[in-house]
Amino acid sequence: MAKILLINPVVREEDVPRHIPYGIALLAAIASRDGHLVQIYDENAWRRGEDVVRQVCQADDWDIIGIGGITTTYASIKSTVRIARELCPKAVIVMGGGVLTSLPREMMAWLPQVDVGVIGEGFLTFPELCAMVDAGERDFTRIDGVIARDASGKLIMSKQRELLDDLDSLPYPAWDMFPLDIYFANSQSLFSEEGMLASRRLDINSSYGCSLICRFCYHLGIAGDMRYETNAEGEVEVAFDKPGNYTRAIRYHSPEYTVRMVKHAYDKYGINFVGFLDENLMTMDQYSGRTWMKEICRLWHEYGLAPKKNPDGTWTGVHWSGTSHATLCTKEILEIMREAGCSHLVYGYESFAPHVLKTIGKGATLESNIRSFFWTLDAGIRPIPNQIIGFPVDDFESLRMSMSAWKRLGIQVKPHFATPYPGSEWFTVFRKSIEDQYKGDLEAFIVDLGDASRISAVISTNFNAIELLGLRELMLMDDQKKIDEYEKVWRSNHNIPDGQPSTLVPSKKAKGPRVVTNVSQLNPA
Amino acid sequence: MGDDVLKGNFQPARPVKVEAAQETLEDRFEREVKKKLGGSIAYVAKKKIVWDVKE
Repeated sequence: MAKILLINPVVREEDVPRHIPYGIALLAAIASRDGHLVQIYDENAWRRGEDVVRQVCQADDWDIIGIGGITTTYASIKSTVRIARELCPKAVIVMGGGVLTSLPREMMAWLPQVDVGVIGEGFLTFPELCAMVDAGERDFTRIDGVIARDASGKLIMSKQRELLDDLDSLPYPAWDMFPLDIYFANSQSLFSEEGMLASRRLDINSSYGCSLICRFCYHLGIAGDMRYETNAEGEVEVAFDKPGNYTRAIRYHSPEYTVRMVKHAYDKYGINFVGFLDENLMTMDQYSGRTWMKEICRLWHEYGLAPKKNPDGTWTGVHWSGTSHATLCTKEILEIMREAGCSHLVYGYESFAPHVLKTIGKGATLESNIRSFFWTLDAGIRPIPNQIIGFPVDDFESLRMSMSAWKRLGIQVKPHFATPYPGSEWFTVFRKSIEDQYKGDLEAFIVDLGDASRISAVISTNFNAIELLGLRELMLMDDQKKIDEYEKVWRSNHNIPDGQPSTLVPSKKAKGPRVVTNVSQLNPA
Repeated sequence: MGDDVLKGNFQPARPVKVEAAQETLEDRFEREVKKKLGGSIAYVAKKKIVWDVKE
């Protein structure tokens, strides 16, 4: 059996650790099931600095050191793999997750300490790697779904790994191998009254994928969105959503698996809140013919998980939350979800401007945004109305439309900035512009990426980073007057005469309604 | 008593010695004030001062 050290890198350092990394917890459970010796160092939870990372690397003679996460873990991973390589020269260093999957060749070039990268889903690839290392072999490219170096250092990508079909064959995450006290202390989820009172929250994932093609979103190989393509130099590389080229695979656990897992966590850890990490619960519900969510809710009651209020304001049972979709939700299912304990649902409304909504691939309209908003409130669930500014076609008109909607709907929000994360369609479309903004240094962009509450690369046609920051501040203060004043300055700067729309977005007609409906029509520069 | 930062299904060969995290009053103050930063709420992060008055 192999001795495996899994490290969860630091992410979102400005906040406390809130989420046990679901993927690492599953890989630990799989490796443990297969008889390997596994330890986890949750660097994101402990945050004790380099000295402890060095001790961890020296705590045993590791055969495998695995690390990975989302793209914004890159800086932490870079620091950790340097230490791991220095102190564990014999260990096979494996990197995976979205950070590797989005840019496998670049990551392997930037991080020469990494021996092998797991591209896309690791549920089948990682255990095969562990078995190979355990057998003393190192010919990693015989395993599907990896990128590794040959004897000359050249990067080789093996065949694309198929997605796991039977999700219910997965063991439950190895929650025991994480510092639960730290996570429970940070259980609070300030999105609803019940979320605020949550004191023992765990997250679960009951599905993989999303049928929608939001152009700023990314799935990084677990949604059937990834393809292998051969470039002009004859090298195989990964490709994700592109204008006119989208692929999807929809997969979900059975309701029985999902609710039994929650019951297991309720009985074993005494949880009182569950956050569904699923990309979009409503995609799955629609795909299942409106049976999946309903059955999860029925079983929530049957397994005694539906919350019952105590006189002191606490409750027995498990409240829960997840992500919904404006067009795909129904009044009926929202009411059923509330009865089963759903306290809040995230909606990526993004904007209340129809001409923006038409360009972002969400399949939502102003009408469906408002309809779902009231359906959700009427059901007794808090809708979390996420907003974004800085879309390619955002203009003064769209910002005003959103501000007006916020006012009428009582929405208090500090919008994110539209960010072209690697793996998204807009990363592909705007890549040259992104690299130009970072003087050709793509790695600097990756290091700069945060959670989109601060600006990195700009993809707005009309506004630069400084303008977006200023406009967001004025929007928060509902200062229409200063926005009007700045629009005059902006029009003067861009030589747009009176009577013409305040936008640099090219239009097929000189006058009249906007005709741009797809970002591919825009010039990223 | 240190924290057990490694968790898994076996006992590693060499222990990891980590002092229990102890937040000082200064740390706590700076953490709390950062949440309210803005307007008249401002503070000096003493550990970040790098201005050498002799320069």
